[in-house]
Amino acid sequence: MKINFVLNHKPIELDVNPTRRLLDVLREDLHLTGTKEGCGEGECGACTVLVDDKPYNSCLTPVLNVQDKEVLTIEGFREMKEYRIIADAFADMGGSQCGFCTPGMILVSYALLKNNPHPTDEEIRFALSGNICRCTGYQAIVNAVKVASEKGVKL
Amino acid sequence: MIKYFVPKSLKEATEILSQNDCYILAGGTDLMVQKHRSASLLPTFEKDVLFTNEIKELDYIKVDKEGVHVGSVTKYEKMLKSAQIPDIFRKTIEQIASPGIRNMATMAGNIGNASPAGDTLVPLNVFDAYLVLSSTRGERKVLVSDYIIGVRKTIREKDEIIKEIVIPNLDLEFDYEKVGSRKAESISKVSFLGAYKLEGNIIKDFRVAFGSVSIKVVRDKEVEKKYIGLTKEEFINRKEEIVSDYSKLISPITDHRSTKEYRQKVACNLLSRFIDNIK
Ligand SMILES: Cc1cc2nc3c(=O)[nH]c(=O)nc-3n(C[C@H](O)[C@H](O)[C@H](O)COP(=O)(O)OP(=O)(O)OC[C@H]3O[C@@H](n4cnc5c(N)ncnc54)[C@H](O)[C@@H]3O)c2cc1C
Ligand code: FES
Ligand code: FES
Repeated sequence: MKINFVLNHKPIELDVNPTRRLLDVLREDLHLTGTKEGCGEGECGACTVLVDDKPYNSCLTPVLNVQDKEVLTIEGFREMKEYRIIADAFADMGGSQCGFCTPGMILVSYALLKNNPHPTDEEIRFALSGNICRCTGYQAIVNAVKVASEKGVKL
Repeated sequence: MIKYFVPKSLKEATEILSQNDCYILAGGTDLMVQKHRSASLLPTFEKDVLFTNEIKELDYIKVDKEGVHVGSVTKYEKMLKSAQIPDIFRKTIEQIASPGIRNMATMAGNIGNASPAGDTLVPLNVFDAYLVLSSTRGERKVLVSDYIIGVRKTIREKDEIIKEIVIPNLDLEFDYEKVGSRKAESISKVSFLGAYKLEGNIIKDFRVAFGSVSIKVVRDKEVEKKYIGLTKEEFINRKEEIVSDYSKLISPITDHRSTKEYRQKVACNLLSRFIDNIK
């Protein structure tokens, strides 16, 4: 089935089974491997991408469900000016160790800061509640989001 | 060959369903987990699949004198942001899964999945919420509590689709508690919703529902009736009897999330605390 959406700011048309997981379309078909597969069951957030600026777990998203929408993966976000601010904040605050959760964490942080440029600690934790990190203990990530917020992701 | 349908309207969807036996796929947060095999393999749908995602006319929240109408493709996130959705529903939804899942998933999917741990099923029962089921044969209204008849079992006919969920107006005091392993991403071990209305000193309304302690939500209108009309003092004095009535109705199981003893005890404690807090 033909499916159209905007991927990382460029329109794309794919001929693909509509029940195929968005995650597999990105990683296998399009070789965009920045999006990670952790649990494959919606529980870890490693596969997070933004769909119309909202976090989606791509491991549970049938690709048909992004028809006509805008999908942003970490590869596309890297081209945006906000990326540097958030990525530097993660690096400076120790918000990334092994890095497996990091693409998801960074995209969720961006989605949060875009809507709410000055979130409280509690709002940050709520926004990140679907993303698991086995390395940092989370506080470093919360700190990184706060630093990014002070530096003004919204610009 | 499995066929895939992406109707753009309810009419188109019911026409497809009148000819084909389909999985109805909404957000996929239940179905995609159930049908998943392993990385890079296609999910195993053994029947045709009808996607609801493009039926934009069913993405709505409307209010009229009957109550709040939630179109079946409306996402949780939209419900959370809508002031038209009763607070107690928003409180329940806020504790479901995670922000990512709530951006994708629907309440119709929670009902369709018919899990004993479906969190919205608890307030839907207390509110006597009902579904409007559509098919080419017409429409019918069914209480959510009658729609679900067992674990993953509903009375949906093959040609029917949930068009909307109707939440009647209900002005009561509520006490909701979800007991899980952690704050986000946890499936309920027990969930509880108590509701009452005091007029003067009289208990004018009293409703209780439990989730995850039986194959479906436990609510018993006969038991409720026994206690409606009592004075507050009489009601509170009969706490032990109330707890004992409900204790007999619930039949939890032991599974990987919890034990039956824990669930029984916690359910009774939540009910007890609710009665203690009636002011
Ligand atoms: C990590 C994770 C955490 C979760 N946490 C919770 C939780 O805390 N509480 C909870 O209750 N649930 C939880 N869930 C389960 C799930 O997210 C919910 O049940 C959700 O509401 C399902 O909605 P959906 O749109 O994704 O449904 P889908 O998976 O698309 O469908 C589910 C079922 O509903 C049927 N259906 C969907 N739409 C219709 C329709 N219009 N007419 C008829 N049938 C229909 C489908 O055929 C299917 O049987 C969780 C899931 C995951 C992956
Ligand atoms: S891989 Fe999608 S949530 Fe874990
Ligand atoms: S940095 Fe290793 S999982 Fe988060």
